[in-house]
Amino acid sequence: MDPFATLGLERTYKLDLAAAEKTHRELARALHPDRYASSGASERREALTKAVEVNEAWRVVRDPIRRAEALFTLAGILVGDTNEPKPAMALLTDMMEQRETLALARAKRDAPAVAALVAEMKQREATVQAGLATAFEQAQGEKARLIPLVVRLGELRYYRRFLEEASATLDDLETHS
Amino acid sequence: MTLLEIFDPKAAPKPIGIDLGTTHSLVACVQDDRPYTISDCDSEVLLPSVVAYGPKGAVDVGRHAKARASEHPRETILSVKRFMGRGADDPETARMGPYTFVARQPGDANVVRFDVGDRVVTPVEVSAEILRVLKRLAEDELRVVGGAVITVPAYFDDAQRQATKDAGKLAGLEVLRLLNEPTAAALAYGLEKKQNGTFAVYDLGGGTFDVTILLLDDGVFQVKSTGGDSALGGDDMDHALADLIFERAGWGDAKKTDPRVVRLVLDAARAIKHGLTTSLEVVAEITPGTSVTITRAELDKLIAPLLERTGVASRRALKDAGLTAAELDGVILVGGSTRVPAVRAYVQKLFGREPLVDIDPDQVVALGAALQANLLAGEATHDILLLDVIPLSLGIEVGGGVVDKILPRNTTTPTGARATYTTQEDRQTGFEIHVVQGERELAADCRSLARFTLKGIPPMPAGMAKLEVTFRVDADGLLTVHAREETTGVEQTVSVKPSYGLDDEAVERMLMDALDHGETDLKARRLAENRVEAGRIVQATRKAVEKDAELLATGDRERIDAAIDALETATGGDDPGRIHHLIEELDLASKEFATRRMNRAIARAIEGRKVLDVEGGLRSHEEH
Repeated sequence: MDPFATLGLERTYKLDLAAAEKTHRELARALHPDRYASSGASERREALTKAVEVNEAWRVVRDPIRRAEALFTLAGILVGDTNEPKPAMALLTDMMEQRETLALARAKRDAPAVAALVAEMKQREATVQAGLATAFEQAQGEKARLIPLVVRLGELRYYRRFLEEASATLDDLETHS
Repeated sequence: MTLLEIFDPKAAPKPIGIDLGTTHSLVACVQDDRPYTISDCDSEVLLPSVVAYGPKGAVDVGRHAKARASEHPRETILSVKRFMGRGADDPETARMGPYTFVARQPGDANVVRFDVGDRVVTPVEVSAEILRVLKRLAEDELRVVGGAVITVPAYFDDAQRQATKDAGKLAGLEVLRLLNEPTAAALAYGLEKKQNGTFAVYDLGGGTFDVTILLLDDGVFQVKSTGGDSALGGDDMDHALADLIFERAGWGDAKKTDPRVVRLVLDAARAIKHGLTTSLEVVAEITPGTSVTITRAELDKLIAPLLERTGVASRRALKDAGLTAAELDGVILVGGSTRVPAVRAYVQKLFGREPLVDIDPDQVVALGAALQANLLAGEATHDILLLDVIPLSLGIEVGGGVVDKILPRNTTTPTGARATYTTQEDRQTGFEIHVVQGERELAADCRSLARFTLKGIPPMPAGMAKLEVTFRVDADGLLTVHAREETTGVEQTVSVKPSYGLDDEAVERMLMDALDHGETDLKARRLAENRVEAGRIVQATRKAVEKDAELLATGDRERIDAAIDALETATGGDDPGRIHHLIEELDLASKEFATRRMNRAIARAIEGRKVLDVEGGLRSHEEH
């Protein structure tokens, strides 16, 4: 499945998400099972299949990691845990340190420190995404030029996991303060 | 009562909306685009969700049942919604309460069973009794009831939803859709106010709490996020108050296990809670000679921890929607428990604004459900669409008991996703698939939805087999799971046996048991259902042919007209099988036309409506 085609979008990393969301909503409006509640069985089935496809495509396209995964897959590059290169040692050490800092801030119940970590990590995430956007554009779908980009996907995954944990910590600290 | 007696071909079946609540239930319908709730012969709109089982199969529902509760606490089921879709050993069964539960026997479906004297009933059957009364009420008002939309808490999981749908089926209703309660409320408000923007719906009912953030834009009600707790509501306030009453009365554990005393105290707790809505202090006589005094400040203190839990869920929902409270355009209050002054004050503080209460919080959900039923039946004049989400992430247990999330929470429905797995061991010929729902990392901490094994995989080295698992969630929020092994082409359709709840056969069996004359009634019922369906499809097809005549290919119209004629003739007869067959024939005759219509709708949505409307208009002018 090509989620970009399903939503009538150009196959790029850098997208106008607001416009894409509007298209998705119009498609969802046109295909939602509610519209076919009175229709015959095959029409209902067809609409449901298409509605599912449209929602699935939007779920992929709106998410920076899944969007990158889709672009790699469409270029014939396998992604996913076992297919991707091991992350650089520097990244691993760095993430370990960040985690320790987070654990420390959590132990001290220091919400502003956690918030600062979240902000910093979001900044790094944005930088990688911007880099990917440019790189995808320059690669023009060429497999050889895309392969070196796969490692950045791993980076994004690490950042996301960290952000999930840090946000949960922040929630916890704010709730019980 | 059979459906045949009330079937009148001239009366058009009217769709209804049902709020099947923890404390009370109600039914609504739409007349001239305006929804209204249907009242009973005593002009009461709210039917207490209480079912009393008497001797010799007698069943009482509503106020009469409620009146029996103190005398027959074990045989009178209140708040059955809290047991829907729960396992036999669910913690809910261990709470203070007057019921006797039946232990699960080997081979039994894993559901709660109440011992009500001369028989054993499940929550699905108890709920069906309530729904039957509502259906009868609607029939008195509308003569012929068409399909029904039944509301469920947005935070209901798959098993709870399935149980609700089964109850509807058992009550003889055609369930058009399960609709999330906050979304229903938003629909009622949205159509009333005709205002675009982002709204939060804070829904604190008798037994469940939901918070939903949704965007209203040009007739589309898009749920951005939802959160809640399917076991948190007014009931918990009553229980907290009841504990205090026991303490004040100086009653020990012996009294706490006496069903009559428990019922009495729980009822007193509810009355005190209601009294404290307008008074600052209530003195209640629990039994002759035993009075307790409770102040509003004491109640406020008791419920503060409950409110804090709603705050956590609300903040998370806002965050999931990527919004702050200040960015909202309004907060809608739903559910009887939002009448408690402390709840209102808390919501006001939480969202930093005065909540909307223009529509009766007890009725707003049923009104929204009726509007949705009307939309689904194709009878509404507005162009409205509800886009809802799944409330909890869906995933599969993988190595180490960890959950691989396949569909994250707040994904718009209907939706689907695929994931590929492989074997862990050499010569492994079966995969065990464990489907779970929830946000926790470990499968053991999530709700188990289903467990099944894909068998018959030829022996291969570890990691060679490729198992593709497909999830699909329909517009009711119900999940189906499908698994197949790819490399060898071994494909198996796996029927998912629910971990909780009843399988289709069990529901069919209950249905047969519930009908007085078994087979005959079942046929009458199928006939009535097929007639309703035929009528709806004929109407929809005619409308489509009229609206998009330019998309008809040569011969289409003749084929479709002939199929409609044949179907209409069959509808006048009494053979449900023939009607069903001719419905399929009509479906076939209009299939290609339908596909063309859908493709055009897709093209219009992608390329922008307005531009294409102009072009499409021009083209059809040229063609004709």
